[in-house]
Amino acid sequence: MNKKLLGVAVALVVILAIFLLVVWVGGNVLKIERLQTGENPVLRFVFVIVGLLVALVIYLATQQSKAWEVGTREVVWMAIGAALYAVFSWLFNGTVFVVPSISQVALRPAIAIPMFFGYAFGPIVGFFTGAVGNMFGDALTGFGLYPQWSIANGLIGFIAGLPMLFKDKKKSLDSVLIAGGVLTAVAIVLYFLNRSELNQVAYPFDQPVSLLAGISILIGFVLVVVVRFVFGKNIDIAAAVTWGMLGNILGIGFAAISDIWINGYSPTTAIVGEFLPAAGPNLIFAAILVPLLVVAYAAVQRQSGR
Amino acid sequence: MLVTWRYRNRKSLIQWFDPRAWIIFYLCFMVCTLFFWDLRFLSFFFLISLVVLITAGVTWKEIRRAFIFIIGFVFIYALLTFLTGRGGVEAYQHEHIIRSMSAPFSIFGWRPTLNISVERSFFAISQLARVFSIAMMTILIPYTLNPSLYGITFRGLGFPDKIAYAMDLTMRFIPTFGRDFQLTMDAQRARGYELEKIRGGLIEQVRKLGPIFVPVTIHAIIGSEDIIDAMDLRAFGVGPRTWLEKLTYRTRDRILIAFGLVLLTTSLAILFLGYGGFWVPEAFIRLVGG
Repeated sequence: MNKKLLGVAVALVVILAIFLLVVWVGGNVLKIERLQTGENPVLRFVFVIVGLLVALVIYLATQQSKAWEVGTREVVWMAIGAALYAVFSWLFNGTVFVVPSISQVALRPAIAIPMFFGYAFGPIVGFFTGAVGNMFGDALTGFGLYPQWSIANGLIGFIAGLPMLFKDKKKSLDSVLIAGGVLTAVAIVLYFLNRSELNQVAYPFDQPVSLLAGISILIGFVLVVVVRFVFGKNIDIAAAVTWGMLGNILGIGFAAISDIWINGYSPTTAIVGEFLPAAGPNLIFAAILVPLLVVAYAAVQRQSGR
Repeated sequence: MLVTWRYRNRKSLIQWFDPRAWIIFYLCFMVCTLFFWDLRFLSFFFLISLVVLITAGVTWKEIRRAFIFIIGFVFIYALLTFLTGRGGVEAYQHEHIIRSMSAPFSIFGWRPTLNISVERSFFAISQLARVFSIAMMTILIPYTLNPSLYGITFRGLGFPDKIAYAMDLTMRFIPTFGRDFQLTMDAQRARGYELEKIRGGLIEQVRKLGPIFVPVTIHAIIGSEDIIDAMDLRAFGVGPRTWLEKLTYRTRDRILIAFGLVLLTTSLAILFLGYGGFWVPEAFIRLVGG
């Protein structure tokens, strides 16, 4: 099993190297314009591999932990999480149910699913839920294929599941909170320095990022901090929300930053125009819906004694 | 109780092939389509998807809802592109305006202006062809892929047993949860909850989604216990798995895979040679006096 996984890792690295070589040789040596800037569909797959490698490295580093075991239960949970995520994101993506979006804040409540499944059932379930769920959700809508976004969603669930690696969930919380706070602050500062950046992810397009969309990540972060300290006694709520927040920031950040190369965005467009309007509202949803799910699930566990 | 996709055994082109071969072809097709913005190349893919749709053997009655939904979606999407000119910004620098219309009023100092240009129109048409091709190929899959073959198909594509089985279950759960969502909605509506009329601030709105979001999720998790028990009783994951159905590649499947791969390599080659980007026929530009 282990040798096999190492083989997979090596294969991924080799494919990545080939991809990058092709892009580099094609773009810089052969001067093919499409490989230099602008929309570059080939690079989508590069970032899929990068995302998978990140997850794999974390796995290889902490292999001994019980969090990585995949039994019958995990298989079923994976399937349930992915199916729920697909259905919810299909229903709420603004086509079937128009959940009113307020001044450019696209509402994606579905994002709470990979976070909750990651936190409750472990990083592998979280990763599968996010990645496969997003893939099927996109397929249901008839949207194209954005594999790097699937991996980004996978990473959200994956990171939300990482507290399982810690024996004492409390210890890690504050450092995660600080890391999230720093990243939020950086994004917010960038926003106020680039107020005129156009919103890339929510209707109406071609408008500058609205103030609400711009600072939504701050609202979300404040909500997370409030939940963390007000419900701090219930360590599950605190840990789920905090790690979900980190997963959201890193996962969406990964997708946004990959668009610097894939879509030829400038770094500020990627962060202000794409990351903020996507990650901010997500965070608000996470801060409210994830605790609800954690509490409801705890009640179910008590009732059934599992 | 599980709700299923509307699969039937049909006389159709898709079902004539091995599902693995079809999935491989589908993926190649999708990746290739994504490479292009050129209508000349896109119309080739559009043609393939049209042939597949016509030969799929699905009746209008079966596919009506999904079809109307997707077509509506694709059109709205293309229309938005056309109206706002978004997306095309990276593809073209100069616009040749056919007509410029501007609203006689302004909202907060912003006057809605519609510039109809050759580039914009062609971009919208290209996008329509592109999204439609992918969407058609995608919505046909649940109608034509035998549910009892989901697991072995994914296994045959190289996924480990457990992942293949999880994918299998995911495909099966999706329609069921769609139904559950509807049921929960109806139940909450009967108690006076109205999703259509969610009001209040942002946070209030989010909170109000709870009564629909939480029951569906928790119900799914509770329901999973039965499936877990059933699987455990059949000793799931104890030894190497065998599958009830068997899939074998026939000549036609190999031809289909080869076709997919040829399509992929050719598209990549075309892409690397620098073709396939957004294209507008010269004649049209000359027509508006460019």
